[in-house]
Amino acid sequence: MNPPPDDAPTATPPAVELSGIWKRFPGVVANAGANLTVRTGTVHAVLGENGAGKSTLMNVLSGVYRPDEGEVRIDGVVHHFRSPSDALAAGVGMVHQEFRLVPSFTVAENVVLGAAERIVRRQAVESAVGELAERFGLATEPDRPVWQLSMGERQRVEILKALWRDARILILDEPTAVLTPGEADELGRILRHMADDDRTVVFISHKLHEVTGFCDEATVLRGGETVAASLPVSETDSSALAGLMVGSSPVISERPPPVVAGGPKLEVVGLGCLDDRGLQALHGVDLTVRAGEIVGIAGVAGNGQRELAQAIAGLRPTTAGTVHMDGMDLTAATPRQRFGAGLAYIPEDRMGVGLAPRLSVTDNAILRTYPTHRRGPFLDYEAAVAHCQDLVERFAVRTGPLDQPIAGLSGGNLQRLLVGRELSGRPRVVVAAQPTRGLDVQGVKAIQDLLVAERGAGVAILLISEDLDELLTLTDRLLVMHGGRVVAEFDPELAVRHEIGEAMVGHVPTSSASA
Amino acid sequence: MRRPVLARRDRVLRGGQPLAFGVGLVVALVVGVFLLVGSGHDPLRVYARMFDASLGDPQAWSVTLNRAVPLGLAGLAVAVAGSMGLWNIGAEGQIMAGAIGAAWVARIGGGWPGPVLVTAMLAAAVVGGGLLALGPAIARARIGVNEIITTLMLNEVAIRLVQWLVHGRWKDPDSHNFPLAPMLPDNGRLPTLFERAHVGVVLAGIVIALFGLAVSRTAWGYELRVAGSSGATARYAGISLKRKVLTVMVLSGGVAGFAGGVELSGNADRITEGLSNGFGFAGIIVAALALMRPSGVAAVALFFGAVQIGGQSIQTMGVSSSVSTILQALILFGAIAAGVLGRYRIQMVAGDTVERPSTGAES
Amino acid sequence: MTEASLIGLLEATVSFGALLYLAALGEMITEKAGILNLGVEGMMAIGAVTGFVVALQTGNPWVALVAAIAAGALIGLLHGLFTVVLGAEQVVSGLSLTILGIGLAAYIGKGSVGQPAGAELVPVDWGPLSDIPWAGPVLFQQSPLVYMAVLAGLAAWFVLGRTRLGLAVRAAGESAPTADAAGHSVAGLRLGAVATGGALAGASGAYLTLSITPQWAEGVVAGRGWIAVALVIFGAWRPGRVALGALLFGLTLALKTRLQTFGVGFSPILLSMLPYLLTVGVLVAISIRSRNRPSPAPAALGIAYRREER
Repeated sequence: MNPPPDDAPTATPPAVELSGIWKRFPGVVANAGANLTVRTGTVHAVLGENGAGKSTLMNVLSGVYRPDEGEVRIDGVVHHFRSPSDALAAGVGMVHQEFRLVPSFTVAENVVLGAAERIVRRQAVESAVGELAERFGLATEPDRPVWQLSMGERQRVEILKALWRDARILILDEPTAVLTPGEADELGRILRHMADDDRTVVFISHKLHEVTGFCDEATVLRGGETVAASLPVSETDSSALAGLMVGSSPVISERPPPVVAGGPKLEVVGLGCLDDRGLQALHGVDLTVRAGEIVGIAGVAGNGQRELAQAIAGLRPTTAGTVHMDGMDLTAATPRQRFGAGLAYIPEDRMGVGLAPRLSVTDNAILRTYPTHRRGPFLDYEAAVAHCQDLVERFAVRTGPLDQPIAGLSGGNLQRLLVGRELSGRPRVVVAAQPTRGLDVQGVKAIQDLLVAERGAGVAILLISEDLDELLTLTDRLLVMHGGRVVAEFDPELAVRHEIGEAMVGHVPTSSASA
Repeated sequence: MRRPVLARRDRVLRGGQPLAFGVGLVVALVVGVFLLVGSGHDPLRVYARMFDASLGDPQAWSVTLNRAVPLGLAGLAVAVAGSMGLWNIGAEGQIMAGAIGAAWVARIGGGWPGPVLVTAMLAAAVVGGGLLALGPAIARARIGVNEIITTLMLNEVAIRLVQWLVHGRWKDPDSHNFPLAPMLPDNGRLPTLFERAHVGVVLAGIVIALFGLAVSRTAWGYELRVAGSSGATARYAGISLKRKVLTVMVLSGGVAGFAGGVELSGNADRITEGLSNGFGFAGIIVAALALMRPSGVAAVALFFGAVQIGGQSIQTMGVSSSVSTILQALILFGAIAAGVLGRYRIQMVAGDTVERPSTGAES
Repeated sequence: MTEASLIGLLEATVSFGALLYLAALGEMITEKAGILNLGVEGMMAIGAVTGFVVALQTGNPWVALVAAIAAGALIGLLHGLFTVVLGAEQVVSGLSLTILGIGLAAYIGKGSVGQPAGAELVPVDWGPLSDIPWAGPVLFQQSPLVYMAVLAGLAAWFVLGRTRLGLAVRAAGESAPTADAAGHSVAGLRLGAVATGGALAGASGAYLTLSITPQWAEGVVAGRGWIAVALVIFGAWRPGRVALGALLFGLTLALKTRLQTFGVGFSPILLSMLPYLLTVGVLVAISIRSRNRPSPAPAALGIAYRREER
């Protein structure tokens, strides 16, 4: 670890200095005067919840975005990056969460793509890449095709790409999200190695143990601003870090009136399933939701919440465990059967799973219920249109003519349509995944009101959200997921924010009851 | 430095496609003027002649309608598959397969009463086309083999199958040097509707209308459109993609086969290797211009029929029939370009990347 | 079956093989960059008619060849304009170009039907090499375009496999966003590839009317453009395998008119179905094998790339 110098004159400027970065997009301010200072030869973590502005800030640093205001200094020199190539030229290389690799190319080919000599001599390139890899302790086989590699190995190829282009400042966006714990440790070693080589590493993370494990300093972002800059990790309490991330403001909001919860409606026991890459996403999740209750699931994206929702809805096969609704075993039921039994699902992926963008409003309105509109081979379109009309009115969906493709509707209205459609079947259980994501203030309120109303009518609701405020306001019980497990349960009225934050990053408080 | 890029429009221009078509037509006619002048002809006289011969009087109409039949049916075949995102490039071969089926029935049913024979022929045609599409359908549904290539390859196989039959066991013993299949018996021909048009015009119209209805108003058609929109949405809605792919491809082949049967029985004297005459490929163009909607196929097919018939008629004026082929292709290009601009607009962008906040896990 | 007829068969195999190879190589390069070009048949027709007509006008076969290559490249660029710049459906654009190409070729060639050739690309004289028994007539008495085809194949293998440009082209066809992120111009690469494909198709067409059958008639391409498309898949997008496939399919073409002389009763027509059926078989086999590993087909083939819709 490299401790900060006490009173040595700052002869060398910091590798990275971002001052007063503002970045706005239509409808959202991603960075509001954020600052970041990173000393050369250190591993620096950037912490923050979803929406805090971390990715945006890193995109500014790597040349993907241009800041509306503020200054970017690399090694003390002001730069105005117009593109990632400019940033690379200044020595800043970014390793994205989604790898940009060609699966059928070898490691070496991927590394040199875009930065090769005119004639690519296979042997020479492969040994050069191999040497570079060895220098940094990135064990890899340059001649292996990338599709055969694990996530950890692929990430090393991404890092090699940056190193090949002589990046002195390496940015990694949540690098361990796709790694196994063992691979994550390996990565930590590699990063330290680089720092010792006088390179600078900046990485975005949510995982406290990583931060404390191999970082020198940490900067915390919240709400687009820097709330704590360059905290020396060795001298900072991890609870304090977590607290800074989620804020300590008391929850000021109107909670819905209490409702006496009924019997258990949704019972999930020991649920296990795989993610898209074939890795275990859920490791035996247990949870129960009772009638008239909203149970929230908090957690940083990528800890299994998405897969949990899909598994309960029937869109993802499970490897273990059971799902019961009202005593009925739905574990093997199809999505349509589950819907018919009273399980509604609001998918995270609004357009592209929940709604079909090229179909009309009416067509989308009957997506789940169209078999009931059959009259022989035909679809009773009058009834469908009437049903759609009813939906549109009840859920205040602002739309053009009902036979037009829904692609033109705003996010809020799309979501109202989707939620309305799911709720119109009088479900007994609702699984809602990120239902208010991307909506404006009115849209958020509308959806939240709908959910609360259902709760009042005795429906059991499982609410998965990245918005901690929303969860604290709406839920009766709050679970926290981390690493594919439910690691903690809180009472939202009594909960202390930073305790929740700690659970979210894997630092489970021993005093709290677990689910 | 700002540079132009194509960015998707928020709202598609209403009436965009007919407009694009119109633009394409105008562009093609203008270019055609140059072509004609270049070969020493008077464009106005030529265009007038084309119009007269295709749409000028009831007889012209009848010939044009005849031509529109295989174009429309082939277009329908491609459009039905296309509404689900599948490409049936094999209509050319499926038309032939249909004609083979119909011709075979005609050979064995020479003594049957007319309506019975014709019905049987058409039914065999549907089966023939469907059979040819079955292989690619299964390959796509179960293994995910790209249907573009498989259907394309079978075109050539089917055409050669006809060649083989006509040169071999179906060869008319009376045709000496030049192998020909025997003519169709009279009871195997579709009766005349009016002037030169045959009943196939009505049949085609009915089939197109039926499919248009099915795609837009039945549960089956609804499932088709959902599956065409997105596979994930289809699963969410409980639709079995494999079964859908299979049935739609086979059905598409069957419709193309039907086109072959109708063309044989209505328009041709006998089965020949030139029967499909490019209709299968033209059908792809027709379907593309109709945006894969059965409802548009009839109009586009009629238009293409007029252009083709008009194009043939000017040969007597000494103008190459290829002019009409070129005109068709030009119309298509104009329509493609105009259609793209109807869905996208030109936006000036600064720098390398267009900035959008990342969706999903926003950090 | 005599020795002479066998030699003749092999000679024709090499000759037809080169014809197919030129067009198939062009299509392979185009597809490697991610663009599906179903307009090969039309481009070959344009190349054929251009070659013949220019040969009539100038009496110089080389000028005619260059003109045919240029014409093919131009049509290729047209396909590129629609598919790369405008992002239109590649299938539709390609098929329309086939229709346009065939029609345009017929139009241009109208006055030249039945005319004797203005010039020919006569077989190259390799001197003593052509006297070697067997190998001589088969390998060393061929039209210069055959040797061009060999050179083109070697060049393609080298460029695609061993150069920076080739790496970039392959990246554009496998993962356009990755190529883009690496700083390459996907549009430029694809346009270049499709123009090259058109040029080679044009050369192939010219080979027909300047060497193989030096005359012009409508429909001279006779479906061999489609064989070329099939060949690319048959050869799994590799220059060497495509060459082998070209020889195989060339053999079937050569056998078509010679089956009688070999006393084989098998119908030449059924034989000519073989390339297409084989291709379907190979494609199915590739797909089954690709369940656990990436398919040899360029991953981005047929998909338009728009950076803003990443």
